[in-house]
Amino acid sequence: MTSTRAHEVLYESEAALRLVDQELTGLHDVRDVGPTAPTISLADLPNILEQANAQILNVLARLRESRAALQTTALERLQTTHEKIREVTTATEDAAINIMDACDRATQMVDELDAIDAEAEPDREKATGIRATLRDELFLMMGALQFQDITSQQLAHASSVLVDMEGRLLEVARLFDHNVDVTHSLRVSGAPDEKTYDPNATTRNAEGRQALADELFTSVKAPAA
Amino acid sequence: MKFLVVDDSATMRRIVINSLQRIGFNDTVEAGDGQEALAKFDSSVKFIITDWNMPNMTGTEFTKVLRSRDDGRNVPVLMVTARSVKEDILTAMEAGVNNYIVKPFTPQVLKEKIDALLPAAAA
Repeated sequence: MTSTRAHEVLYESEAALRLVDQELTGLHDVRDVGPTAPTISLADLPNILEQANAQILNVLARLRESRAALQTTALERLQTTHEKIREVTTATEDAAINIMDACDRATQMVDELDAIDAEAEPDREKATGIRATLRDELFLMMGALQFQDITSQQLAHASSVLVDMEGRLLEVARLFDHNVDVTHSLRVSGAPDEKTYDPNATTRNAEGRQALADELFTSVKAPAA
Repeated sequence: MKFLVVDDSATMRRIVINSLQRIGFNDTVEAGDGQEALAKFDSSVKFIITDWNMPNMTGTEFTKVLRSRDDGRNVPVLMVTARSVKEDILTAMEAGVNNYIVKPFTPQVLKEKIDALLPAAAA
């Protein structure tokens, strides 16, 4: 079920609840009127109860549908968010391992440079080559830190889903109580700006995604610089 | 040659600027979003590397504004972004981006794309 349909069901449920509220208020008003008001005969009671029963069944059906709709949309989005957060964990770990591996290689190279220096006739050419490789390793370490930008976008997306879910839950809560306290709502602090993140941001398959971009820029005439 | 590096992530700006320095481009100016980039852009800037997702003004919005200006019509724009679905890439192309790099990128890819656009930047 789509998010739009979920909203529709929610509003239909709210309308049904208001209708029941109106009916009950009407019954309340009849009960409260004075002795001059027309009295309800006992014979009318089954009809009134039948009407009330029908309204209550209607509301219950709507609420069941709302619950199902909200459950479906919420589960879908929460599942995606869960996967994104797991990807953040993996990306962080992968980057940490890459950086540690590079640190190990860099340390070995420093040891090799020390060994060359300790020789009676140091091989300067070999040392120059090792230094160049060492610079490459340090540079690759810096490149591995790109995960930070991507994972921050994934977390921004997860945060926006949480704010959205809270909004849906508040709407349901308001069906039963219009005075629901929203002082500590996530919306008060604000959802992440949608302009600042890509919901599909990923560290995976960078080569394949770059190949797609290259293919499009080659096949479709790119604007001349 | 002066490069304008636009990204809301300070980490990414630093990675790109370090990559540029490594291939011999030391003249760089940086901006955190499209609006700041427009404020910092002038005729001395010969090459732009921009992110897409940024607050206030995105990379595609920035490129469109740039292309509407006489002094920004021909400056090469290389987009470096996490966005990589086909529709996004085509949108960037329509905005006036000259080439596209998907994050996370390797220094080699960055060098190749810059090299390919350098003749236009030098013109």
